[in-house]
This record gives sequence, structure tokens and C-alpha cells, in this order.
Amino acid sequence: MYDGKKIIPGLLIFLGLVTYPFWHNGVSGKTGYVPKPKLPVDKKECVEPKDYIRVNHKDLLDDWKSSAIRKGRRTYVASNQKRYTMSLTRTCMQCHTDRAEFCDQCHKYAGVENKCWDCHMFPKEIKKE
Amino acid sequence: MTDKREKILGEDTVLFEHIYKTGKGFYITVSILGGLVLLGLYAYITQYQEGLTVTGLSRQIFWGVYITNFVFFIGISHAGTFISAVLRVLKAEWRRPISRASELTTVFILMFGVGSVLIDLGRPDRMLYAIRYAHFRSPLLWDICSITTYLTVSSICLYLALIPDIALLRDLGEKREWFYRILSLGWTGTESQHRRLDKAITFMSILVIPVMITVHTVVSFVFAMTIQPLWHSAIFGPYFVVGAIFSGVASVIVVMAILRKAYHLENYIKPIHFNNIGIFLMAMTLLWFYFTFAEYITIVYGNEPIHMDIFWSKISGKFAPLFWLHFVLCFIIPLPILAIKKYRTIRGTVIASISIILGMWLERFVIIVPTLTRQRLPVEQAIYIPTWVEWSIFIGCISLFMLLYVLFTKIFPIVPVWEIREGREKAVSQVGERIRSYLPDDKG
Amino acid sequence: MELKRRGFLTIAGLTLLGLTAKPGWDIFSKVELPEPSPTPERLAKKKWGMAVDLKKCWSLEKCKDCIDACHRIHNVPDLGTLKEEIKWIWPVPFEKVFPEHELEYSGEDYHQKPVMVFCNQCDDPPCVKYCPTRATWKRKDGIVMMDFHRCIGCRYCMAGCPYGSRSFNWRDPRPFIKKVHLEFPTRTKGVVEKCNFCEERLNRNLLPACVEACKEKALSFGDLKDPGSDVRRALYHRTIYQRLPELGTKPKVYYIL
Ligand code: SF4
Ligand code: SF4
Repeated sequence: MYDGKKIIPGLLIFLGLVTYPFWHNGVSGKTGYVPKPKLPVDKKECVEPKDYIRVNHKDLLDDWKSSAIRKGRRTYVASNQKRYTMSLTRTCMQCHTDRAEFCDQCHKYAGVENKCWDCHMFPKEIKKE
Repeated sequence: MTDKREKILGEDTVLFEHIYKTGKGFYITVSILGGLVLLGLYAYITQYQEGLTVTGLSRQIFWGVYITNFVFFIGISHAGTFISAVLRVLKAEWRRPISRASELTTVFILMFGVGSVLIDLGRPDRMLYAIRYAHFRSPLLWDICSITTYLTVSSICLYLALIPDIALLRDLGEKREWFYRILSLGWTGTESQHRRLDKAITFMSILVIPVMITVHTVVSFVFAMTIQPLWHSAIFGPYFVVGAIFSGVASVIVVMAILRKAYHLENYIKPIHFNNIGIFLMAMTLLWFYFTFAEYITIVYGNEPIHMDIFWSKISGKFAPLFWLHFVLCFIIPLPILAIKKYRTIRGTVIASISIILGMWLERFVIIVPTLTRQRLPVEQAIYIPTWVEWSIFIGCISLFMLLYVLFTKIFPIVPVWEIREGREKAVSQVGERIRSYLPDDKG
Repeated sequence: MELKRRGFLTIAGLTLLGLTAKPGWDIFSKVELPEPSPTPERLAKKKWGMAVDLKKCWSLEKCKDCIDACHRIHNVPDLGTLKEEIKWIWPVPFEKVFPEHELEYSGEDYHQKPVMVFCNQCDDPPCVKYCPTRATWKRKDGIVMMDFHRCIGCRYCMAGCPYGSRSFNWRDPRPFIKKVHLEFPTRTKGVVEKCNFCEERLNRNLLPACVEACKEKALSFGDLKDPGSDVRRALYHRTIYQRLPELGTKPKVYYIL
């Protein structure tokens, strides 16, 4: 092999760098970290079951957005036949009042950015201001 | 090595010199231009972070330098097509050495035309919504369609005419041979290849002409379709097309002069070329004047108060200096220079062209901005002074354009070698033939 | 995704079939019912309009209750400069709003008086034509809507609107909002906004905020198709003006003198 002396250490360094995030977290003991979104204490149920919401809240909100704004339909019939107003601020944020303790928990962890909060404000955020 | 070059290139070696020789001038140019591009980039980043508040635009005058640039750049892009396609179709033989330079101007400047609109957007992150949620009643969508078509067609034109030259570079086999090999698409210069290439280029040339006219017509429609005073004018389509060809041809003259000096092409781009384009430019000057006159006389004679307000703000109001400056630059200065044979030299045409380019930018500006100061409801007195951000982005765009141009000439010859050869080998006799066919038949 | 959810809903619904008693029980027990939301079909039959009684408005000088109410509930920022001003409803001197009535020798004294102007919710809205993304569009009930989620900020609608009803967010407006009203979103920089006829209140069966706020009852609102509605009764037998009717935009905001 030509230049084996250079290639092999080079490869090792490369692998080291690429896997950096893994072993860094391993060393600093963060591998076991699980985000803990704080659920509202006084409310028992969300518009849909937890597992469904956890996976699909993005699409649900997207549907609500287009349904409410573009089609003018603002009543959501949940799977248990309960009816809700389709509104991020007036329905979701009535229970989930704190962005830092709820949304940000997972969104920061997963590195997912979104733009909802540029316009829709949380009740807690305003109190701080 | 020189021998090989000599063999392949023959007497046209100088056309390849700028590819193989990199002088100090090149590095200096590139670094100056690069610096200016960085300045523009910095200005844009500022604008992206702070919002359009960093510009001089306001609630009342919400379109300014960027939209002016959009119209102006797209206007310039008409040159290439005009010179290479129209002159090709008309069989004007003198187009040969300058066709590529003008096509290149088209393709590159067009990108900045599109870019200017994107820079103007309040939410550039959502620009693709214009395609995702396309609303075809909006003239902006017409723009998107016609400009993308134009960009595609003119890029293809440019590329087609490059193929034989790329093959030459491949045969030289010096720098970047693999690159040229891929791009040359197996060109060997056989008779049938030449025939097919010729067909393809002619076809594209004919295709691009209506596209070119459409492009600037729909650009003018952005304004003409609104009901704002002095924008809502049926003449805007042809008026803008004429203005576009006018400014475009002028910029080709400037480009030619620079290339001629920088790359020692005195033997290829000759005074006769400047003279010929100069005559054409003079015709455009008159045509431009005719349209301007027709546009304003209609307004004045109609004497509608809402139009007259803006008209007077241009003639004697706060836009008067700009208005008259643009008139002088577009008409009073270039016309005598181009009309009098003695002045239609290289220097003369270049001076006239620079004046026209500046004048045409101002023309777009005095078409767009004064209307916005007083729409139907003259609510506030509005002023618009572009800020450093707008100027820096403007300079950045122009520098990037030049930079791309310079880099292009590092890779490809700027004078189409094969077209020159073709001219030398075939066209001379063909033209003689053609002229003979115009004359009364020889009875004897 | 839509499909997946549907599938899920079906399964969930089937499971719930066994509990048919539950919804019945729900109806009679105190469940949180959503706000009454008129369906689009019902709205389509209406045609909202507004009337501004100028004499009533002028009877209170320097009053700007309607402006305050509107700008407060819609989180309209107060930027404090003319350059970047954002406004949904604002006063303009009579002679500028109705230039065609500015006649040389008329002895009227109201030419300098303020007239409240806002988006006319045109029945044939030019702004809508120009928008490349349909971020602004006319709803069935005639309200010209603005979708802040979709606006790309090209400002072509501003060039299209002959009334200057639209404002652009030149910078992030949030720091300039005195007190954020939670129920309405703020905007980001780079989008256009304008009066929305309090569309978000209408679907809760509330009157527009300005109408509610006016102590003089100078503003009347209602369904233009219904002869008994407030707005129609206000227009009855009165001299009424529209802004620039000659442009064919068919404003649905009337001014009464
Ligand atoms: S007033 Fe202007 S913004 Fe409102 S609907 Fe009419 S054109 Fe559109
Ligand atoms: S600024 Fe927004 S609403 Fe206006 S035309 Fe552009 S995308 Fe449409």
C-alpha cells in the first residue's frame, strides 16, 4: 500500500472525529438523557391519545392551520368524538403554557427548529417579559 | 508543447492565451472583485438578520433599488440574445467574434435579475412557496415562467456554441483535459456534426427571440398590470423591451472594449464591430426616445390629476434632477456621438454606452419610485434614500457578475474560435455567393 | 400523513363504538364545548360589510377608541416612525380620502375632518390578483384574508391595493408591541398585514373590535345581503360614499354623511 503510514493514522483520526458526538456524550454521561416534557397537572387528556400526539402533532397542527385559516373550518372532532376549536393559541396553549418546559424539551434534544413560536406566544413567555 | 498548440490552433493562438497565461492583473482583479462580493454578502447577511428595515424603503415607497436592479439586469440580459441570435438569423457576418461574449453576458446577468427579486423578499426562506402555491393570475408567476425558460434556452445556446471550442481544448490536452473531454460530448468536427450543430444553434436562436421579447414584456407587466398612476400603461411592454435591448447592447459594447484591451484581441474585435453596433445603438436611441415621448405625451395630454401629480414630480418636482439626468444620459449624450461618423470610434461608442447604461438604470428608477410616492391616496410625503446596504448589495451583484465572467474566461475562450474559422473558411465565399444571388442574373 | 391519521381515527372510532353511551352522556354533562364556529357553507351565504357614520364619528373629537381596540387585540406594533409604520385602521383628512369631493368653492367645513380608513374588503379585490402565493385571498363571505404563514413578503399586493391599506413588517415587530394579546398571533418580519374584519371574532359570533369599541355607535357591521342587518339599516336613505368607486374594486366599507 502506498503511503500506508499516512493513510491509516489519517483514517483513524477521521473516524475519531466522525464518532465524536457519540463518545463525547458517552464520556460525559449524557447517553442516558431522556427529555422530560412537563405535562399540565390539572388536565387529564389531550385532544388525541398521547402516543398519537407524540408522533403526529406536527401534522395535526399543520392540518389545523390549513383547515382553520384557509378553509374556515375550526371545529375538530377528535377520535373520541369530543369537539375542539382548532387553534394553537386558544386550544393547545391553554394547557401547555410553558414553551421551555414542554416544547423545547424534545425540540432542543432532537435539534428540531420550527417557526410556530415566532408568532404564537405562550402565556408564560409574556409574563416573563 | 508550443508546437502542438501551434498545430491545433494555427493562427488563433492568442484566443487561448487568457486560458493558459495567468498574469498579475488576473489576481488583482479577482481579489478586488472578491472583496466587493464579500461586502455585498455582508450587507445581505445584515439585511437577512435585521429585516428590510436596513434599507431605505418605507411603507409608502416599498420598492426601490432591488426592483430597479431586477428590471435593469434583466434588461441587460437581452443583449446577448439579440446580438448572437438575431444577428445569426439575419446572417450578419460581423457578429462572429462577439457572439459568445454577449451570450455570456445574458446568462450571467440574468441570474442577478432573478437574484434581485429574491433579495427583495421579506421572507426569502419561503421563496419556493411561489412555486408550491403558485397562483397563475399573478404577473410575478408569469415572470418566473418566462425567466426560467429564458435562462434555460440561453444557457443551451451558450453551451452549444461552446462545444467545438471545448473539443479544441480537449485536443490540446493540457490543463483539465478530463473536464473538457466530458463537456465536449465527443465532438470530432466531422461534417455531419457540424451540420447538426448548425441546425441546433439556428433552431435555438429562433426559439430564443420570442422568449426574449416575452421576458421583458412580462417584466414590464409587473408594473403595467397594476392600476397605479403612470405604471398602468399599455405601452410598457414594448417600451421596456426596447429599453432592454438598448441597455443590453450598450453593455455588450463595454464588455467588448474591456475584453479587447485585457486579452489583446485587437485583431479580432475591430473598430468595424464597434462601428456596426454603434449604428444599431443609434437606432435604438431614437426608438427609445420615441417610446418615451409617446408615453409622456399621452399622459400630459390626458391631463388626469392623479397622473399629472407624478408627472410634475418628475419634470419639475423632487425627481426632476434624476429625470433630466436620465434623459441627458440616454439621449442627449449618446445620440450625437453615435450619429456622427467621426465620433463613432471605439472610444466614442464606449463613452456613449456607459452613458446609456447609467441612464437606463436611472430610467428604471424614475419609472418605479415616483409612482410610489403618491399613489391614489397621497397620504404622507415620502422620501426614499437608499442605504449602504442597498448600494453594497448592488455593487456586490455587479462584482460577482464580473468575477464569474473573468473566471469563465479562465476556462473557455471568449471568442468562438470555430466560428471565426468557419467565417474564414466558408462564409467568405458564401457571402460572395449570396451577394451574387441578389444581383440581376448574368445573361451572358 | 392524512391517510395514516384517518386510519387511526377509524380504528379508534371502532373501538369507541362499544362505548356509544359515552357521547350521549357527554352531551348532557358539562363538557367543554368548542366555540360555536359557523361552517364555511353558512358563511358563504353572507357578505360582510361596514358603514362608517362620519357625523357621529366627528361628534367626539380626538377619540381613537376604535384604533386602540383594533391595534391592541391584533398586536399591531407601534414603531413610532412614519417609515415603517404599521396600521390597520387610521384617520385621514376627508379631502384626501374622497378627492373627488374636494370641490373648489364648496363652503363645507368638513374637508379637514378625519375619516377612519381601513381595508375596504373589496368585493373585487385587486390585491388578491397580484399575490403570487395566494397568501391573500377572498373568502366566500367576502373577507379578504391574509395568511401570515404563507406570505413571502414580495409586497406586490401593496402595489396592487389602490387604497394603501396594507403594511409591511420591515423589522421584527414584537419588541414594539406594548402588551401582547395572546389570542392573536404576532407577526414576523417580512410579511404583510392589514385589517381582517376581525375574522377571528366573527367566527365566535362577536362583532369587530372597532365596532364594539365605538361609544358613538358610528360604525355598523353586518351582512349586506340581509336587509334587516345593522349595516343595511344604517345605509338606508342616506348619502353614502365609497372610496374610489371608479376603480371597480367594489369596496364593502361605506361612508355615510
Ligand atoms: S382595500 Fe386594498 S387590501 Fe383591502 S381588499 Fe381592497 S385592494 Fe385589498
Ligand atoms: S407580500 Fe405576501 S400577501 Fe402580498 S403579494 Fe407578496 S406574498 Fe402575497
